[in-house]
Amino acid sequence: MDSAPSRMQRLSGPTVIVLALAVIGMLYTAFGAPAGHAKDDPTTEQSMAVKAGRELYLQGCSTCHGLGLQGGAGGPSLIGVGESSVIFQVESGRMPLKAGTVEAPRKKAKYTTAEIDQLAAFVGAHGGGPKLPPGKLNDGNLQQGGELFRTNCASCHNFAGAGGALSYGQYAPPLTEASARVIMGAMQSGPENMPRFSDNQLTPDEKKAVVRYVQFITKAPQPGGAALGRFGPVPEGLVMWLVGITALVGVTLWIGARA
Amino acid sequence: MSETPDGKSIRDRLRAPADTGAANSGGDSRGSDVTDASFQQTDSRAELASHGRDERQHSAPSAPVAHAIQEPRKADLSEAEARSAERKVAALFVLSFLGVIGFVVTFFVAPFKFTERDNIYFTPLLALFMTLALAGIGAGAVLWAKTLMVDEEAVQERHGFASEIEERDATGQALVQGFEQTGLARRSLLRNTLLLGAGSLALLPLPLLLDLGPYAHKEDRFRTTAWKKGVRLVRRNGTPIRIGDLALGSLETAYPDVPGGVQMADTPTMLIRMRPEELKPRKGREDWSVDGHIAYSVICTHLGCPVKLYEQQTHHLFCPCHQSTFDASNGAKVLFGPAARNLPQLPIYVDDEGYFVAKSDYTEPVGPSFWERKS
Repeated sequence: MDSAPSRMQRLSGPTVIVLALAVIGMLYTAFGAPAGHAKDDPTTEQSMAVKAGRELYLQGCSTCHGLGLQGGAGGPSLIGVGESSVIFQVESGRMPLKAGTVEAPRKKAKYTTAEIDQLAAFVGAHGGGPKLPPGKLNDGNLQQGGELFRTNCASCHNFAGAGGALSYGQYAPPLTEASARVIMGAMQSGPENMPRFSDNQLTPDEKKAVVRYVQFITKAPQPGGAALGRFGPVPEGLVMWLVGITALVGVTLWIGARA
Repeated sequence: MSETPDGKSIRDRLRAPADTGAANSGGDSRGSDVTDASFQQTDSRAELASHGRDERQHSAPSAPVAHAIQEPRKADLSEAEARSAERKVAALFVLSFLGVIGFVVTFFVAPFKFTERDNIYFTPLLALFMTLALAGIGAGAVLWAKTLMVDEEAVQERHGFASEIEERDATGQALVQGFEQTGLARRSLLRNTLLLGAGSLALLPLPLLLDLGPYAHKEDRFRTTAWKKGVRLVRRNGTPIRIGDLALGSLETAYPDVPGGVQMADTPTMLIRMRPEELKPRKGREDWSVDGHIAYSVICTHLGCPVKLYEQQTHHLFCPCHQSTFDASNGAKVLFGPAARNLPQLPIYVDDEGYFVAKSDYTEPVGPSFWERKS
């Protein structure tokens, strides 16, 4: 009698532990496991985007850039170019390429913003590369943006973002139609002949300041009337001399002829 | 001018050409009542005469000759036409006044009432009202002169250029007298020290002329910059540039880390990063670049514009002023354009802390050519 309950007690300890483990295991299976599995589940947003982007890529891009993004005769490799590059190229309509010109011109975008994000996710999943910084892209400091723009961008893109000529038929495009995503993507990826600006050179906040300034300067009202392409004193002087002075000389001659 | 001494208006006289016809056709209008009273007022000789300083008449130029217009205008003949012309001129003057009012109102109202969208009308509106204000006065004045003012052409002979002999004598005497009064002829000490002081004034501009000659370049200001061994490359905001800061295909404008280095005209340098295998260093400059980082002067060797238009795929450096193109991968060699020399290269290395540092100054003068430049 003495030993029976004690044996029972001795056995009850492991039994309770086993039972407890079983209950925990069941609870984990019931609630914990699905949550744990979700990270690899192909139904999540990110991998859905990659999957959808893959479809878009295979249809629209793989002819030139290769089935495995390895590039080919028609286009460069896209491994490691990053999401920013895709967003710049596709959202500004430069890709898909229309013809092999000196420089890809801006066109109407062929994909919606959602599709562009899917393409970017797919390309970004292959080799990483720069991606757009989180948050609003144009909430930087306007004055700082102006200084950075004049130091780093204005030499090619003109002080008012009107663009300008480069060597051998190339050109720096005007920034008037570029969206915040396109401007940010261009700075991060350095498309074609544009230099890249790493985060060590211009921090994400400084890039946001530049985006804000570009949007400010290209959308600013023009209190002087006709902006003449915002190219500055050269076309303004040309119009002044050719149109203004010619008109004045004409009026003077007319007055003289009437006298 | 509209009223002549005999009290008749021009219009009255034009209606009766016989009054003035004889005088005009004769060419000598000395006795003509049309001109004497009005035009002699403008004759300076007559003024002198009235002041009693010059009584001579022989040198007075012939009085101007007025010719009446051949064809009388409508307003000359009809009072109604004249009124009509007057109203037109008045309307133009009022238009000018309205232009001024519009200008002032626009100027003060616009900043408070205009939205940002309306703002584009601000300057054009100012221009429009200013045009009205100025053109109204101008057009009114022209119309006035053409329709209502007396329309005569007048010819006035010039008097001789030389002064009269008496006048010249008097001036000479005054000068001689004035010199005597200064006492310089007697007081030789005064005269000599004056000559010394005034004469030495001529030396004042001489040092300025020296700046145009070879002395200006004695210090080699054109040949040297603030870069020297051990000076770090910093950004415009003063932060030093570390290796790895630049992505492949990047360009950064660098200044020397010396006081005022950012402001100096001859120091701006561009630091470019490309793949090391793309770089073809010139002979003797193999160790002037670090791991694909290479530094050139920003200042064009043609006329000194900033050559900062860098194309990261072709490695062209393009000058926006005259299209000089340099090859950054090949010692900034001139590929195209009016520049005659390659961009100077700044030798760089990386210090123990990983920052870019100049190895020495530029080894050739930066910027455009100058007379004394040999290379």
